[in-house]
Amino acid sequence: MADSNLTEYVTLVSNDGFEFKILRSAACLAGAIKNSLDPTYGFKEGSDNRVTLPTINGVTLEKVCEYLYYNQKYAESKDAPDMEIPPELCLELLIAADYLDV
Amino acid sequence: MAAERTRKRKRDQEATIAKIKKGKVNKKKAAKTKKKKGGSDDESDFEMAEMYKKAKPMPGQLANCELCEKRFTVTAYSKAGPDGGLLCTPCGKEIQKEAKIAEKANKPVVRKARRKIESNRLDGLTTRGSKTLQQLCIEKLAKHSEDIEEFGEIPEAILNRLSEIFGKKRAMRSSTFKLFLQPDLDNLAIHEAAYLETEDFNQIFAVIPTIKKLILRNCCQFKDSNMEYMIEKAKDLVDVQLLGANLVSNDNWINFFIARGPELKSLKLEWLDAAFNDQAVEALSTFCPNLERLKLERCKQLGVDSIDAIARMEHLQHLTLKLYIHIPRERLINLIGSVGGNLRTFCLENFLDNTETDEMDEDYVPNETTEPKEAHKPDDHVLAAINSNCTHLEKFRFSDNNECTDAGYANLFTGWNNPPLRYADLSSTRDLDNTNPEGPEDLPIGLASSGFKALMAHSGSRIEYLDIASCRHINHEALAHVFDGVKQYPHLREINMSFCTVADTQTVAGIFRSCPRIKKVVTFGCFEVQEVIVPKGIVLIGAPRAHDAIEQFGDTVMDFQKELQSEMDRDRAMGRIVPVMG
Repeated sequence: MADSNLTEYVTLVSNDGFEFKILRSAACLAGAIKNSLDPTYGFKEGSDNRVTLPTINGVTLEKVCEYLYYNQKYAESKDAPDMEIPPELCLELLIAADYLDV
Repeated sequence: MAAERTRKRKRDQEATIAKIKKGKVNKKKAAKTKKKKGGSDDESDFEMAEMYKKAKPMPGQLANCELCEKRFTVTAYSKAGPDGGLLCTPCGKEIQKEAKIAEKANKPVVRKARRKIESNRLDGLTTRGSKTLQQLCIEKLAKHSEDIEEFGEIPEAILNRLSEIFGKKRAMRSSTFKLFLQPDLDNLAIHEAAYLETEDFNQIFAVIPTIKKLILRNCCQFKDSNMEYMIEKAKDLVDVQLLGANLVSNDNWINFFIARGPELKSLKLEWLDAAFNDQAVEALSTFCPNLERLKLERCKQLGVDSIDAIARMEHLQHLTLKLYIHIPRERLINLIGSVGGNLRTFCLENFLDNTETDEMDEDYVPNETTEPKEAHKPDDHVLAAINSNCTHLEKFRFSDNNECTDAGYANLFTGWNNPPLRYADLSSTRDLDNTNPEGPEDLPIGLASSGFKALMAHSGSRIEYLDIASCRHINHEALAHVFDGVKQYPHLREINMSFCTVADTQTVAGIFRSCPRIKKVVTFGCFEVQEVIVPKGIVLIGAPRAHDAIEQFGDTVMDFQKELQSEMDRDRAMGRIVPVMG
């Protein structure tokens, strides 16, 4: 697959229709997203640069995106401060995190 | 009136005398410095200026504030201004506040987190990068454990992880515990059940009657009634681990073994003082012939009869034993002879045959009691028995022993018809003679140089975990030979060589080079380990001399690491936690 398809930003879509455009490098920190975007597997997600996540709602996905950027920012630093997570989101986020492998 | 005046005059006089004296001293000093410096009299000029300056007003007098120029009454608490004058109360307060803020800003903030960092280091958590989102969520959940109504559809792996964190944070109580009971589960693991009540344990079997595997640690309130209910309800149970279930009577243990019978595959019991004796083990071997995994640690009542009973369990694949009493060597060798052939895990801790102090032995080994001194002679028959009988071991522990010799270990690992070990723990095998800390020179006791070389020659290609803590008689030459930086131990991930006092910086550096996958090096009591550069992704724990001097979480990417870099990154992405296998 040609490299020209590798855009800088990719789109994540939640089950209630919210779209999040985030840096590919950040999105690929999540194992499941990385695999679905990997051109060598030839999924439709890879050519469209767009991943639909039917099990995750907009609120949770927003938090996931926040985490991905947070993770990218602190990847090399020591003693990274813990990201704030609202308690009511925890369970859904946990399941999403397990699904996405982050 | 007159007296007061004289007093005042006297005081003034004294003050003046003191001032003059001070001036003299300053002059002398100035003269000295002048001589030394041989020039510039700026300093003495400054001193003179100081002397002729107007004296500061005494408390009770009036003065002008240095900052706001207002007239105010001087008190003992009046603050000095930036130029040496006095300040009125509001200005004084202001300047004090500023000073405090400045002080705070100057204080190093790292101190606060130091203890946490140190604690994480011991846990094997690296501090590099952020935690995984799962980890963050689980920690947050544990913090708000009381507010959760139900977990909903959570994968079993996560549920187990949650249980672990809840246990660690002491949040596993009757109320939160119910969250973990989901009818469709196969496994339930409660790693810290000390807060749970008797009724809670019955809940497990009422909600999950199809449970197959049960782990309850510190289940202090697990009673006979729970055991009876478990026997009645949980008909599919094949794997049981109970720690500290001291309220279960011997009869009920036996009833359980009868009830589960041939279906019981795995049993792990630890910390039993009050009940569970040899008869229970006899019953276990009679009624549960298909047992594959058995772990009995710190069960106070167990004795030699248990060893004989275990020897009859033909299907055992994993056996871990740690008893309190001394077991005659013959009985242990008999055990190895009968079950050793199938074993994949074999852990023996503190198995000694101390005939002199143990009367139990008289019944079984009458011929040895005639020569009690013989018991202290080193004896390698146990190791020889392992060498000839065990041929499928992956995990091997033989620790806390001062009876087997280095030659015995060397013989065990030389030409052993067993595939390379994955896990080897030979910690605390050393001579115990306070008068002779170096041990006998010609015949070293415990795993020493030749035994260690033989072990690594045999298992080096597959070994993942190595524990040689307190093997004090391994010499530096042997360590340098094994970890020379050229020989490779491609799977070794964790090594504990605490209290191997000869280990030095060179040894540790050798380990980094010889073990490309190493994650954790434990060096408590290794005083020679200093100034090590720790490569990236590796944790060095202990190292008393290296505490502040070095960065123990490696930053440096060593040349030999570069090729592994991508792989390591992948590992890190999968989980920040260094596997702690010990």
